[in-house]
Amino acid sequence: MIEVKGLHKEFDGKQVLSDINIKFSPGECSLIIGASGSGKTVLLKNLVGLYEPDQGDILYDGKIFTKMPLKEKKLFRREMGMLFQESALFDFATVQENVMFPMDFFTDWSFEQKLERVNFCLKRVNLENVNHLYPNQISGGMQKRVGIARAIAMNPKYLFCDEPNSGLDPTTSIVIDRLIQEITKEYQITTVINTHDMNSVMEIGDHIGFIHKGKLVWEGNNKEIMDSDCQPLNDFVFANNLARQLKKNK
Amino acid sequence: MNNLFQITGEYWQLMSRVFRKPEKWSIFRKQFWTESQKLILASLLLLFIVSASIGAVITIQTANNLESPFIPKYYVGVMARETLVLEFCSTMVALILAGKMGSSISSEIGSMRITEQIDAMEIMGVNSANYLILPKICAATIFSPLLMLTSFFIGLLGGGLLVAITGIITLAQYIEGLQFAFREWYIFYSMIKMAVFCFIITSIAAYFGYYAKGGSLGVGRSSTRAIVVTSTLILIFDLILTKLLL
Repeated sequence: MIEVKGLHKEFDGKQVLSDINIKFSPGECSLIIGASGSGKTVLLKNLVGLYEPDQGDILYDGKIFTKMPLKEKKLFRREMGMLFQESALFDFATVQENVMFPMDFFTDWSFEQKLERVNFCLKRVNLENVNHLYPNQISGGMQKRVGIARAIAMNPKYLFCDEPNSGLDPTTSIVIDRLIQEITKEYQITTVINTHDMNSVMEIGDHIGFIHKGKLVWEGNNKEIMDSDCQPLNDFVFANNLARQLKKNK
Repeated sequence: MNNLFQITGEYWQLMSRVFRKPEKWSIFRKQFWTESQKLILASLLLLFIVSASIGAVITIQTANNLESPFIPKYYVGVMARETLVLEFCSTMVALILAGKMGSSISSEIGSMRITEQIDAMEIMGVNSANYLILPKICAATIFSPLLMLTSFFIGLLGGGLLVAITGIITLAQYIEGLQFAFREWYIFYSMIKMAVFCFIITSIAAYFGYYAKGGSLGVGRSSTRAIVVTSTLILIFDLILTKLLL
């Protein structure tokens, strides 16, 4: 479980996150939603330690991550996997080398053992026969799947996804969403996803936190979101005519 | 001024992360050889062309300016050798490499920064600065004396070839000049300078790439700044090292 307590973050005197308190449970897809510039990515970067909070704590299964010494934090990060918005696959490496990268660093496995794990992870994300291709030789959807394969290569306890569907067509987006959800439930991972894709919200939103102007203003799930009376959330969720019509018909 | 202090502080902070024990020596060794190929072998063609032509040009210019009958003709060889070893093969070659190597390093690392590849490494628990930068610095610094020697040899060869083709002096006079009053220390002096310059090129370019921000324009800006700062530092250190070593 990940617990965020009283998190504050500001940049150049501008408050970006203010008093964020939220819990993310294992086996659940927790979605952080909000408009662009609301502070979602800053929250995610605080969670993984790329930013230091100005105030507040982040606890991973009771351990205070924010107060860990750098060395311990570095070791702890091996339990994390992250899928980036643009996949962040290494250009200089093939698909196989990308997925093998963390294993090269942190295991003493033989090449055959690593290859077996790579093939397992790639198969898990429904990719085969792409081992020797470079990231620029595969499609955006495939890159996302390789990103997921790399993120789960070391059996992480925590998975973070930053806008996993950005730049993907709706069908591929659903495939990626379902894949993340399956993996989360199968391995009981604590998954936190940053998104503003309403399809993802409705499809996999076991737990949703809505951030508005740096504050967590609503928490619930994909069933409760339709009936919420939180105005900023409704403005965000029902921004288009189709969504408004759906709510009206409901 | 504040900016200068900030850049200096960030640079040393980055270097303190770069000069750590690699996570695995086998990975470092692999990276070291890859970078040696990318930085050193890939620079050889440019080095050959520039050194041979400058060697030839120095020989022509010296021969044209030695009109006094009291100066022996073999002085053309002496002048070519001294110019090449003292300044051209280290300082001028380093300035040329600052453009080639420096922009390549800062744009490579800069693109990795803006496409979040460096963040991906950090989240995995990999010391990205150590993994990406240390092999580059080691490869360039260790092999730089060889670059200097190659440039020197090709420069002399270029001059010799010109002498043989044009006959402005005889080849025997040119070779005699190359051997006349030869000081080995100049070779070591030039090799030391080249090693320092290559350290500056790789570490400064890596610094600007590592802290690149603002998309592809930002990467371009960081490459330009890397080359400007590197070239300035090369000239400053040339002065310091010359004063200290000669």
